[in-house]
Amino acid sequence: MPPPVANVLKSRADADEWRNLINDRPRGLDRRRRITNKVALGAITAAFCLAIAPLVSVLWTVVSAGLNRIDVEFFTQSMRGVIGEGGGALHAIMGTIQITLAAAVISVPVGILAAVYLVEYGRGAFARTLTLLVDVMTGIPSIVAGLFAFALFSLAFGPGVRAGVAGAVALSLLMTPVVIRSAEEMLRLVPTELREASQALGAPKYRTITDVVLPTAASGITAGVMLGISRIVGETAPLLLVAGFTDSMNYNLFSGRMASLPVFIYSQWQNKGVDAAAYDDRAWSAALTLIAFVFVLNLASRMANRFLGAKAR
Amino acid sequence: MRECLAQAMRMITKLSRSGMAVLALGVILSGCAANEAPVVSDSPVATNTNTNTAPALQGTLVGGGASSQTAAQEAWRAGFQTTYSAVTVDYDPTGSGTGRSSFSSGGFAFAGTDDAFSVEEAAGAFAGCSAGTGLVEIPVYISPIAVAFNLPDVPTLNLDPATIAKIFAGKIKSWDDKAIAAANPGVKLPNTAITAVHRSDKSGTTGNFTDYLAETASAEWTWGAVEQWPEKLAGEAADKTQGVREAITSAAGAIGYLDASQAADLGTVAIKVGSDYVQHSAEGAAAAVAASKLETGRAATDIVFDLDRKQTTSKAYPLVLVSYLVACGQYQDANTAELVRTYFEHAVSTAGQQAAANQAGSAPLNSELTSLVSDAISKIK
Repeated sequence: MPPPVANVLKSRADADEWRNLINDRPRGLDRRRRITNKVALGAITAAFCLAIAPLVSVLWTVVSAGLNRIDVEFFTQSMRGVIGEGGGALHAIMGTIQITLAAAVISVPVGILAAVYLVEYGRGAFARTLTLLVDVMTGIPSIVAGLFAFALFSLAFGPGVRAGVAGAVALSLLMTPVVIRSAEEMLRLVPTELREASQALGAPKYRTITDVVLPTAASGITAGVMLGISRIVGETAPLLLVAGFTDSMNYNLFSGRMASLPVFIYSQWQNKGVDAAAYDDRAWSAALTLIAFVFVLNLASRMANRFLGAKAR
Repeated sequence: MRECLAQAMRMITKLSRSGMAVLALGVILSGCAANEAPVVSDSPVATNTNTNTAPALQGTLVGGGASSQTAAQEAWRAGFQTTYSAVTVDYDPTGSGTGRSSFSSGGFAFAGTDDAFSVEEAAGAFAGCSAGTGLVEIPVYISPIAVAFNLPDVPTLNLDPATIAKIFAGKIKSWDDKAIAAANPGVKLPNTAITAVHRSDKSGTTGNFTDYLAETASAEWTWGAVEQWPEKLAGEAADKTQGVREAITSAAGAIGYLDASQAADLGTVAIKVGSDYVQHSAEGAAAAVAASKLETGRAATDIVFDLDRKQTTSKAYPLVLVSYLVACGQYQDANTAELVRTYFEHAVSTAGQQAAANQAGSAPLNSELTSLVSDAISKIK
């Protein structure tokens, strides 16, 4: 252990040396450093403000315009039979929840298994190709995913088919790469020593993965899944294409059109009746609901992180 | 040890609290919408005990097309779904062109369109229909097209067809042009540049508007009656009726054409008919349609107007849009046929037409036309 600074400075010679060092420093250099520091700090602060300004502006606009219709009716009614004022977005909220959950049910197992393969088994050209494909998939425009689902379901069920599950398939295409990437990162963070210890105790590789690696990475993987859900929950284009929109409740994922919040916002804005303000109000309130939804998901992800993280330790 | 216990307790409280919140949320969300009757699928008769005359209709009916019909369709669907609570009707306002092609490919069970199928197209094959049974096309929505503009302090302007054509063709570029000033004595016109807004999508409203210009100002408008706006012409393109409205509202000096129901708070043009200038109105539209003849050479169920744009009937507003509903003569699916027929009957009924008039400012069908249309609807099977 090195001696504390105070002890070092106790000796007179050392103190002199320090003083000399400080005094000998050229004055100009010192000032230049201070100015550079100030300028850099100013630039960073300005960049931060620039980045945060649109965010604050959007949030302020959505909250102030959206609060108009945040009432009981909005959360207990659909738009069926509603002309002009009134009505609600219950059908869209339920649709968003159902479609998102269905997309998660498809993407999470595929994503985690793919990540396990890449980290634990994948070697050589095949694994490299897979990684490349996942990277490419992250960049797929959402409308392309929608077109894929549209083509798939049109071929199978004829033209004009609309179903919640088709939307879920399109969204899972967007969600899977996010889950793979984040799960892969988390699995790589698990120390090799843990795996070695487990195998040294005689556990086969699959037991090592299921009992040691996955539980250790659980909190990170959950956060990744939540991130993936936040990524897809606001998608409009694919759902507009394959899930369609309707005014009525539809709890059946496999038949008929299913509304969702982003599409609800779009259709309220696009297809206004004569009393345009009522449609705008509903669109804003739905936007606020969607933002709140994502916010709650993020909070849940943080809580899961804390809870699961504690358990793994 | 004690610390550990306390932490566990804290964790449990936290969990149960969040669990409770999730539970409460679930209870709120899992219920049926308060404004919807629960659908009893195994005993359909139970859902309409209060409407003895109505047959037990069930299912989902999906149609789409003309965005000009959006407001009227909303009124019809609301009324229809109240009577038949086990039926869901959806209408996609995709634009007339998409509506017709989706109907042809079987994507929509019925289509709304501002331009009827041509005689050759109507004789073709339609995926959802039994082959060779023809189409049922009926006018259901008669509405004036407003030429709306955004000039501060100018609520109305008089323009003749030639001037409108020149504005949209880009030959008149400023609001203080002599041609505009001559027709509007006493109006203080600014020297703002004119931004002519047109529809970017293939649209029946564009079709009717260009048809009007081609008929009444053939010298100035040489592009004919087209659904897709001529590419050579400059001006601002906007998507669907709402896009045009948005474009006009947001830019001073803009002018565009759109269904009159969406032009409520904008300045509108009084067009020259004969020697008078006529503002758009439901009555004017009805008068213009009443003075027009039906197209000849079509089947009895194919009721299409040949609108007389050049007419000089007093108070008539010939810049009018007649929007049609299209159905198969015979459907491959009997239930769909039943749904379409009942829905169409509702749309043309007195109540349906009145609801559309209240909601969209359209002109209700007159009694002569209603009986003609009802005959055609009864042929759907």
